Amino acid sequence: MNKITNLSKNDLANAQETAEQSSRRDFFRKTAAYSVSALAAASILSPVKVNAGDDPAIIEEQPWATSLGDPVTKNQYGVPSAYEHNNIRRTSELLSSGNWQASISMCPIHESEGIITPNGLFFNRVHGGVAHIDPNKHRLMIHGLVEKPIVLTMEQLKRYPSVTRIHFIECPANGGPEWRGPQFNSLQFSKGMMSSAQWTGVYIKTILKDLGLKPEALWMLAEGGDSSHMGRTVPIDKVLDDAMIVWGQNGEALRPEQGYPIRLLLPGWEGNLCVKWLCRLEFASEPFYAKEETAKYTVLKPDGKAIQHFYPLEVNSVITNPCPEKPWTDLKKGDLVEISGLAWSGQGTIEGVDISFDGGKNWVEASLEGLVLPKSWTRFSYMYKYEGKSLLLSSRARDDAGFIQPSVKVEREVMGVESVYHRNAIATWEVTEKGEVNNVQVLS
Amino acid sequence: MFKSYHKLFISSVLVVAGTSSTIFAAQSSVSNTYDNGKRVIDGGVTYPVTNSKTASYHINEETLKGGYAYGKKATENEIKAWDIDVMPDGTGLPEGKGTVEEGDELYEAKCVSCHGDFGSGSGSYPALAKGNAEEGVATLKNQRTKPDTDGPIRVFGTYWPQASTLWWYIKTGMPHAAPMSLTDDEVYALSAYMLSINEMTIDGEELDDEYELDREKFLKIKMPNKDGFVPNIDGPKGTDNMRDYMSNPKNYGNGTRCMKNCFEGEPILAKIQTEIKEFSPPLSTVRELPKVDASAAPASEGAKIYEASCAVCHATDAMGAPAMGDKKAWEAVLKKGIDSVYKNAIGGINAMPPKGGNANLTDDQLKATVDFMIDQSK
Repeated sequence: MNKITNLSKNDLANAQETAEQSSRRDFFRKTAAYSVSALAAASILSPVKVNAGDDPAIIEEQPWATSLGDPVTKNQYGVPSAYEHNNIRRTSELLSSGNWQASISMCPIHESEGIITPNGLFFNRVHGGVAHIDPNKHRLMIHGLVEKPIVLTMEQLKRYPSVTRIHFIECPANGGPEWRGPQFNSLQFSKGMMSSAQWTGVYIKTILKDLGLKPEALWMLAEGGDSSHMGRTVPIDKVLDDAMIVWGQNGEALRPEQGYPIRLLLPGWEGNLCVKWLCRLEFASEPFYAKEETAKYTVLKPDGKAIQHFYPLEVNSVITNPCPEKPWTDLKKGDLVEISGLAWSGQGTIEGVDISFDGGKNWVEASLEGLVLPKSWTRFSYMYKYEGKSLLLSSRARDDAGFIQPSVKVEREVMGVESVYHRNAIATWEVTEKGEVNNVQVLS
Repeated sequence: MFKSYHKLFISSVLVVAGTSSTIFAAQSSVSNTYDNGKRVIDGGVTYPVTNSKTASYHINEETLKGGYAYGKKATENEIKAWDIDVMPDGTGLPEGKGTVEEGDELYEAKCVSCHGDFGSGSGSYPALAKGNAEEGVATLKNQRTKPDTDGPIRVFGTYWPQASTLWWYIKTGMPHAAPMSLTDDEVYALSAYMLSINEMTIDGEELDDEYELDREKFLKIKMPNKDGFVPNIDGPKGTDNMRDYMSNPKNYGNGTRCMKNCFEGEPILAKIQTEIKEFSPPLSTVRELPKVDASAAPASEGAKIYEASCAVCHATDAMGAPAMGDKKAWEAVLKKGIDSVYKNAIGGINAMPPKGGNANLTDDQLKATVDFMIDQSK
């Protein structure tokens, strides 16, 4: 033990506080004795001089290495390290419809690891605020064109056999503020209207087996029980394929922000369709024309016609390392660095991702990394030798349905710039000679 | 380039070939049609259950066979209570009536604070009308590809395909802070007002102040942009039309997998013109301990209720309510005396519903919240 021991008064106080939380007298006695002996040791040990070139983080003893940590009785629901307090959702007044109860908070995808978003960081879009529903008073009603309309309590719903699936949820307006050009020098704000989780719930087709769905039923209305009473119309084909009612999110109950106690999950389709606080499913032969599928979430094209029921999220990708929040300013020439990012498709499984260093003129194939699942975030990776040159770094994903991301030019030719939703053109970062990263668009 | 789909069915051939490729084949079972032979509705693919797996996921096929009797039968009364949607053919639209003039009065009392005079919008709250609806439809072809050009007008009159959406949305979603608080007659009156500010007609008749809208007249409304949407989702072919539209990526754009010299010359770049930096909190990736304000007192009950139930209207004066921290506004309110302020908070005043729309609050909680707001506005 040649390290410098800096046992401060604070640390001693912490140890005593730890002891006081225990009701067991013998534990108190042992802890107190231990603290005293640690203090005594500190005064005896001779400090090692820090030489030039030595890292003080190694030479100097740290308080967390010389005093007790928290007891297991603290934080019975754990929280992240206090040092991670900047890894949070963020908001902008520009993305609100007047107030924070009709708004969105953006996921910090620049800090995301792997393909799962922690529940506390999942992006949150609400139309009437986050409802806090008593699960004992919540019901799911299934009616309309079924022989047997039913009502389920939450306990009854969870009795159905469950499936667990990893899927992203993305707001179709993700990237939408940038149809007419880049606006945010930030990955969180340019692409953060999405997150991913492992969801647990029941296939709706499993429930319908016993309800006698009538053949003329072509559409299903899904409605939320929160103050927005938001409804959306879903074609029966999706309902009978992979639509789910979910109650589990990453191994625990849904968060209130995600629709506790239950929400609809339509894998790969617009986040807005995945109705939160779900209370009602009604089957009908005609579509319902809810406000959020007519006034909003319709895609206006240059000929003045708008696409309605444009539901799947097309193949898409973005480089997350580097990005404006995570630049290469600390790299030295010759450093080998991993370029990595996220690719996803709501119409299938990611088949591959290409990378360009010159804004999309020439491309090389990247490697996929980790789990490759349908309608899921998929990681890609490319090893690059950093040379301190300016770059235009782009990624281009393709899926097993045969779709590939269009250039900005090609997408604008078809969709114009007034679509608001469903922008999946190739995204580009400008990397400067200093390693700074800026959001740009290539129009070639 | 949109690829042909023949490769999707290679897997079943490999199953016959056996050995190690069988395992791979089972994992990659993917199809562009459902079991019923129809093309996948979103233009993408589906993953049929093969050898108790769907894509990479194992599945217990026994669970899919049904035989469950959970829950109870929904009663007619329960369905009636919850079936709040209104469809274009009038399903769900109740009887009732209201005039433009009555709608105007309701609008001034309950809507103008957010939606502005005559539906002009305020702040970031949406506008409800912008001139004559019929004429506005032409703007839907506008594209803001150059600076200072006008964009498309997407308000109720110029854009929405169905009037039923309006009735349904006002009834179940408005006023934003107190949904489900309007009577059916009030919704008819507000609908009549909406039609009048959008300069719309019913059966060729303009909606003057005395015009009374009822269910029969409502069902005759023709939305100017009814045919402005693709694909056609109505009728028995509705979902098939959606299937056809989504199966053709030319309708929404698809790329090509070019690898070399994909365009001529240097790339044309668009850079950020006016950077938006209004982020809350500001961007940071620093790993350090948060700065704690040791002087901050724990939030009182009044403060908590304010955040949960009152801030939506009182955070700013945008909704016509006295804003938190606005000394003058609160001095004016207090001229009536504190008891009258309590009474209004509990019973409602102007656009403010009783107890701010949160009926679960006790009178004492309301008073504590009023005290908090006054204290913060001195």
